[in-house]
Amino acid sequence: MINRTSACARTLFVAAFFAVPSFAADDAALKKDMTSVIALQGLPCGQVVAVKVNAENDYACSCKDGNRYRVYVNAAGRVVVEKQK
Amino acid sequence: MRLVHLTFLPLLFAAGCAAVAPEGSVAPQTGATATQPATPPPAAEPSTPSTPQPVPAAAPAPLAPRAAPQAENKAATPGTKTPTAAAKPPAASPPPSTAVKPGPHPAAATTTPVAPPALDLAALKEQLKETKAIGVFTKITLKNQVDDLLQQFRDYYQGKAKVTMAQLRRSYDLLLMKVLSLLQDADRKLAAAIVSSREAIWGLLADPKKFATLEG
Repeated sequence: MINRTSACARTLFVAAFFAVPSFAADDAALKKDMTSVIALQGLPCGQVVAVKVNAENDYACSCKDGNRYRVYVNAAGRVVVEKQK
Repeated sequence: MRLVHLTFLPLLFAAGCAAVAPEGSVAPQTGATATQPATPPPAAEPSTPSTPQPVPAAAPAPLAPRAAPQAENKAATPGTKTPTAAAKPPAASPPPSTAVKPGPHPAAATTTPVAPPALDLAALKEQLKETKAIGVFTKITLKNQVDDLLQQFRDYYQGKAKVTMAQLRRSYDLLLMKVLSLLQDADRKLAAAIVSSREAIWGLLADPKKFATLEG
C-alpha cells in the first residue's frame, strides 16, 4: 500500500516536473504571438509581458512599455486590437 | 619461496606487458585518426556526394524554381560544409582541400541561375498555414491584411479606389516584409521560397486578367 502511494506520488511529481515547462513554453509562444499581432497592427508595445485569457480567442495583453491591449477575433473573423486605458 | 617469486615475477611482468599492450593498442587508434587524414579518398568521397546534394536541396524547389538556384547556392556552401562535417571524424586537415575544391562551383552557380520563377501559390499557402514559425493569431492577422490588399486591388481594377499601382506595390512590399520578418529566423526555407516567388506573385496581382483568374 505504502509502495503504491509512493509510486503514485513519484509519478505525480514527474508529471508536474514536465508539465510546468510545457505551460511556460505555451505561455511564451502566446506572448510572442500577441507581440507580433500588436506590432502588425502598428501599435506601440515593445513586447508583451503578460497575457490574461478573457475568453476563447480573447486576450488582455500587458506590454513592456506599459500599454495594455485587448486582442480578440470578432464575428467577421478579423483580429481586433483595442487599446485599453 | 624463491621459486614462487621466480615463477610469479615473469607472470607479473607479462601482466605488466599485457597492461601496456592496450595502451599500445590505443596509440595506434590515435595514430589511426592521424593517419586517416592520410586517407583523403574517404574524405574526397564525401565531396562527390556534394554534387548530388543539390538534389535534396532542390527538392523543395518545386515551389519556385528560382529558389532552386538559391538552394544550389546554399547547397554549394553547405555542400562544402557537409563534406567537412562528414570528414570531421577522419580529421580536420582534409576538409580544407575539399572546401577549396567546390569553391569554383558556387561561382559558376551564381552566374548561371537566370531561370524564371514558377509559382505554386497553393503550396505556399499550405506551407504558410502549417508553419509553426507564426502563431495562430498572427496568421489570422496576416490573412486579414492579405484580404485587405486583395480588396484594394479589386477596387483599383473596378475603378473604385483612388490608390495608384505604385501605392499598391508599396503595400504589397510592406506586407511581404512583415511576413518575411516573421519567418526569416524560424522558417528560413519558407522565407526563401516567398522571396523567390515575390515577383511572380506581383505579376499575378498587377495583371488585371491574371488577377481575375486568381479571384475566380
